[in-house]
Amino acid sequence: MKTISKVLKKDHLKSLLRKLAKDRQLVAPVRNSYGDTLFTEIEALDGVEIDLDNQAQSSLKSFLFPQQQVLFEYSTDQGSAPVYKAIDSDGPTVFFGLRSCDLAAILYMDVIFLKEVKDPYYRQKRENNILISIGCNEPFSNCFCRQTKSGPFMEYGFDLQLTDLGDRFFVETGRAQGEEIIQQWAHFFSPASKEDEKAQYQMRLEAQGNFKRQVLVDLAIRKLKDDLVPEEVWSKLSSRCQDCGGCAYICPTCTCFTINDRKISTDSGERIRTWDACTFAGFTTMAGGHNPVDMKQNRMKRRFMHKLYYDVKSHNRTSCVGCGRCVDMCFGGVDIIKFINMVGQGEI
Amino acid sequence: MNNIYLPNSAIIKEVIDENEQIKTFVTVFRDEMFNRSFTYEPGQFMMVSIPGLGEAPISISSTPTRPGALHLSVRKAGSLTNAMHQLQAGDYLGLRGPYGRPFPLDIMGKDLLFVAGGIGLAPLCSVINYCLDQSGSHGKKIILYGSRRPSDIAFQSDITAWQKHSNVTCLLTVDQEEPGWSGSVGLVTSLLHNIDLNCDKSAALVCGPPVMIPPVLQQLKKNGFTDENIWTTMERYMKCGVGMCGHCHMEGEMVCVDGPVFNKAELNSLKLET
Ligand SMILES: Cc1cc2nc3c(=O)[nH]c(=O)nc-3n(C[C@H](O)[C@H](O)[C@H](O)COP(=O)(O)OP(=O)(O)OC[C@H]3O[C@@H](n4cnc5c(N)ncnc54)[C@H](O)[C@@H]3O)c2cc1C
Ligand code: SF4
Ligand code: FES
Repeated sequence: MKTISKVLKKDHLKSLLRKLAKDRQLVAPVRNSYGDTLFTEIEALDGVEIDLDNQAQSSLKSFLFPQQQVLFEYSTDQGSAPVYKAIDSDGPTVFFGLRSCDLAAILYMDVIFLKEVKDPYYRQKRENNILISIGCNEPFSNCFCRQTKSGPFMEYGFDLQLTDLGDRFFVETGRAQGEEIIQQWAHFFSPASKEDEKAQYQMRLEAQGNFKRQVLVDLAIRKLKDDLVPEEVWSKLSSRCQDCGGCAYICPTCTCFTINDRKISTDSGERIRTWDACTFAGFTTMAGGHNPVDMKQNRMKRRFMHKLYYDVKSHNRTSCVGCGRCVDMCFGGVDIIKFINMVGQGEI
Repeated sequence: MNNIYLPNSAIIKEVIDENEQIKTFVTVFRDEMFNRSFTYEPGQFMMVSIPGLGEAPISISSTPTRPGALHLSVRKAGSLTNAMHQLQAGDYLGLRGPYGRPFPLDIMGKDLLFVAGGIGLAPLCSVINYCLDQSGSHGKKIILYGSRRPSDIAFQSDITAWQKHSNVTCLLTVDQEEPGWSGSVGLVTSLLHNIDLNCDKSAALVCGPPVMIPPVLQQLKKNGFTDENIWTTMERYMKCGVGMCGHCHMEGEMVCVDGPVFNKAELNSLKLET
């Protein structure tokens, strides 16, 4: 598909979002009164500070795959069959201001939840979404999306991708729906001039050089593939893991979950799905206590192997999208950058 | 849209007491049209649930060649399976599935050696009866089944039928004798020493408790079976059954969709100790 390029004045942004959010929820990075920037559902745009200067601390994961979600309610009645009533997910959303890594993470979740077997709850939340991403002229302090090939700009997956050009955004379309938006709300957009195109090209080029950290992802992938990671790397890292699951919860592509029943009364209740973390001790424990993945060391190994090796093997790309969020999250310092660089530099 | 997480209600028609630990539930889906159209392959499993207690993966022990009722043989292992043991004919179970990669159909016509221990005979029952029901399948079938004690021997009615079948050799062994037992005593591996099969043209299917698998696989290798011809099922903790929740992950494979049936060569390539 040929992309269409336009320019959107920053003054017009909220008006456009107001239009798009008319029959959809709106989610964007919002700076709250505590100074935290979080992806937030916006009820009314007035007075809300959409923050495009800082990286959202949270990812978009919870909007498509909530931390806790009721799958269905059940009721039982002596002598008759139980009744199961599925709970619908809420409707379509405009996701605005997602970064390339956030977008790549959604595309990865699509791979997990929308394969031959479709997850009905994810699908409901994902259907009819509008994705408006913004490229990163200045990657944030822990970003390494260039090495995970998921940024700082994306080539696909978005409806509209913005580039900040100071007083205006350069706008590219990535899907038919993006074109429709530009056509339907034509009066917000103006044609992109040759200068705009040049400026955008320049921004993209410079962004590649603006990363603050050197993270040797490809080298780590190769070493994992060739089984060249010494056991000491795993043992050293796992000795500082506190088993809190924070890395998995904050990670936009950690999608493991558990399912449990909650009784509401003797004859009714609900089945609930909750985020889980493969680094937890009980994750693989089977009835009778037999655990095929014993020891913290092996559990940590599984998480990093999954992100950097198994997913490369099965989907041809890492499921780490290089957002750097786990770096700030882990107080033991056993984040993925630490691991990658330990492996890459042979430093133990 | 079809909601994969919603169980279908099935009514329990009969409960067979296999032994102190194992009961077989003969179940029929409440929705008759669904019941008629429901089909599966030997080796697949169902997610079985009781509202309020959750779900567990249970192999289908019946064969699709005998449609109408689905057999689930359940060993008491914890909260859900204990609660299932309280159920009686007329009660309901929630079922979703069938899930998982079945045993390959192309081995069904070969000479087959089945080695099972305890509840491990459940998925193999499905394969064995499937093979015997196929007309034109004249391959030799050898069944070796180990139990703890003679009174623990499950699937009695199937065993009786197999022992009468001209194509079948069915040998039993127990760990501990009891009065009246005249059969063999010892591990199931001991039955493997004098097996009369042409290993090149046959396959072995092994299913049992984790402690049983490694010595059996070693003995089969000695007997001359190649890794490609040794099939087993892997057990992992499972929550979704459809390759999403991550719980059954095993060296890059999801046991619920890539297995639970694997051959030894596949397991070797995953660098798994077996
Ligand atoms: C493919 C497959 C086929 C199977 N087929 C059969 C079959 O045909 N017949 C049969 O009897 N069994 C079968 N099993 C085994 C059966 O699924 C288990 O015995 C069953 O899940 C036990 O459930 P429970 O609730 O009774 O056990 P519980 O011990 O009460 O366990 C409840 C759940 O919590 C988990 N758990 C236990 N301890 C912990 C912990 N410390 N932390 C976190 N979680 C924990 C358990 O793994 C279990 O799933 C099969 C298993 C698989 C994977
Ligand atoms: S592993 Fe860390 S850096 Fe990679 S996507 Fe997850 S949170 Fe971001
Ligand atoms: S049981 Fe959920 S992925 Fe296999």
